Amino acid sequence: MKTTRGTDAPIIETLGLTKVYGANGAAVHALRGVDLTVQQGEFVALVGPSGSGKSTLMAILGCLDLPTAGTYTLDGHQVQGLSGGELARIRNEKVGFVFQSYNLLPKASIVRNVELPMLYAGVGRKERRERALVLLEKVGIADKADKLPATLSGGQKQRVAVARALANGPALLLADEPTGALDSKTGAEVLELFQELHRQGNTLLLVTHDPHIAALAQRRVEIRDGKVAAGGEWEALMASQEPGTRLTAHHPGAAGDGLEASLAEAGFQAER
Amino acid sequence: MKASGAFRERLLEAWTELRENLGRSILQALGVLLGVASVLGGFSISDSQRKRADEMFIKMGGLDKLNVMPRAAMKDGQPTALQTANLGLRDADALGGEALKADAIQGVSRQKSARARIVSTFMDQDRQVSGIGGDYIPANGYGLAEGRSFSVSEMEDGAPVVILGTEAAATFFPKGDALGQSLRIGTIPVTVIGTFQERVFHFREGGGNQFWWRNRIIAVPANLVQRRMNGDAYRRVDRVTFRIPDMAAMSGFAQQLKGLVSANHRLQDDFRLDDVAARMRRRQSQGSVYDIVFLLSGVLALVGGGIVNVNIQMAGLKERVREVGVKMAIGASGREIFKGFMTEALLVTALGGAAGLVLGVGFSWGITYSIGVPLHMTVASFLWAYGMAAAFGFLFALYPAWKASRLSPMEALRYE
Repeated sequence: MKTTRGTDAPIIETLGLTKVYGANGAAVHALRGVDLTVQQGEFVALVGPSGSGKSTLMAILGCLDLPTAGTYTLDGHQVQGLSGGELARIRNEKVGFVFQSYNLLPKASIVRNVELPMLYAGVGRKERRERALVLLEKVGIADKADKLPATLSGGQKQRVAVARALANGPALLLADEPTGALDSKTGAEVLELFQELHRQGNTLLLVTHDPHIAALAQRRVEIRDGKVAAGGEWEALMASQEPGTRLTAHHPGAAGDGLEASLAEAGFQAER
Repeated sequence: MKASGAFRERLLEAWTELRENLGRSILQALGVLLGVASVLGGFSISDSQRKRADEMFIKMGGLDKLNVMPRAAMKDGQPTALQTANLGLRDADALGGEALKADAIQGVSRQKSARARIVSTFMDQDRQVSGIGGDYIPANGYGLAEGRSFSVSEMEDGAPVVILGTEAAATFFPKGDALGQSLRIGTIPVTVIGTFQERVFHFREGGGNQFWWRNRIIAVPANLVQRRMNGDAYRRVDRVTFRIPDMAAMSGFAQQLKGLVSANHRLQDDFRLDDVAARMRRRQSQGSVYDIVFLLSGVLALVGGGIVNVNIQMAGLKERVREVGVKMAIGASGREIFKGFMTEALLVTALGGAAGLVLGVGFSWGITYSIGVPLHMTVASFLWAYGMAAAFGFLFALYPAWKASRLSPMEALRYE
């Protein structure tokens, strides 16, 4: 699938992504119009304080949830308006999740955990097993294939989770604080694995609050108050056919935060 | 998940899940087990009883019989002379009946009994004497042990000959040499020309011989009783039995016979028809009331078990919300989750049901053994028991499975 896609078509493209929880008086605006584009092969860090809408954005980008308004295109597929079953299929085929708490199935063996997404995709038993073993080899824990997750260390569990995320050759790897539960040494090893995956051409979106981890990414997108506060979308803006409809500034560093925020705010208002 | 091997995978996963939660699974299976055992056990016990009753009727001479018996016509007052002359079951009724459907009727027998003092060298007793005519002996399941049956001319003439049941033979001739001996019935000296085989039927093992009274028979030609003991000019009889193996012809015949006998009796309703097969069917329909009771008790057990299962499933679901969330995140659709939960519940039902069948067989065997009736189980009972369990298992699995499938993946993932 990756080979047939045009190089210029983005993996993620959102326009005016809005998410409102609750209704009327009690409505909470978690996202207030997020425009985000991630190209194939990019390694993007999604940063922001808690309560910024980061998790909501991640859930929508991972097709775990649907936006209230706005459009989202993932690897050429329109996501908004899809049914639960269709969303499940997109998650299965296009998205690989890595969670902070690993989220392995405790009763299934390591190899079975890696096989599961392929099982849901309808891959045959033999091929499933072969591919799962190859993936486990790739993340360096093939020897634990038949063990249960509980027998593994945190770093090893996260490697299994990465192998599982890669199972169906996803268009997007989505990692939510993947090192949050690890000590700094194993955390560094896992991050090294992510960087290796990035070098191999995978598109990575890493959600973190740690600036050191975010620094490893090619580009940082900061979410604040349900909007993209600043990000490396300067090129995208330059390439845009309609300058002015999107006002997001290149992020030179943490210093100019206030300025960018106000610019973004102005842009947001200009759009209205 | 595509079709090929998907079911096998789900089954495997369900099996793992059951093994991991053995205690919970056993609790869930228990309700199904008891329900299945109770339906199967109940059905089998009533089947066994019914089978035994069938056997008894057949040993009594078969089901294909229509009896005509007299009954009191006059509720009060005295019958007129004309009525007297025309009332009562007579030979004419038997002959007329036979003429109605000669091709379908395989045998007609008459019975005319009397009480008499019976005296042998060894014994002097007041007893019932059965005057028999026509095919009485085969129609009532008797067989000769020694000697011979009545000849046509002996029947016709009312010859002074007698055939004894085993008990009668032993009572009047304790030395066991009844054949050829003579006996006095009332004032009539008769010769023993044969003895009947012993009639034995224990409905329940260890129970009494249901046919003991048949061994007391003292059989003489009906004409002997009619002419020389308590007969009358109208040759009245106590009972006429028609044997019609063709069950379809039976009901039509019964109607015709009723008309004929009624006409013979000047429209006096002084007789009744007793269709043995119909009596049998009535007995069986009484049996089916028990079946319904057994089925209901089984259903109650299954419903009770089902409700418990829903509770257990819902409690189990709470522990598994996160697991559902993870599965959904890696691509399981709600449908897939639903199927997974259904598979688990149905596997529990299948296993519990199978154990229930085993328990039900043991249960039926134990009860029928203790009451001494041979165990008789039908395939239908197994199908009913298992089918009910499957139906209720499916029904009660729907809600928890549906609940699980409707979880929002994001909320499920965040569930602690």
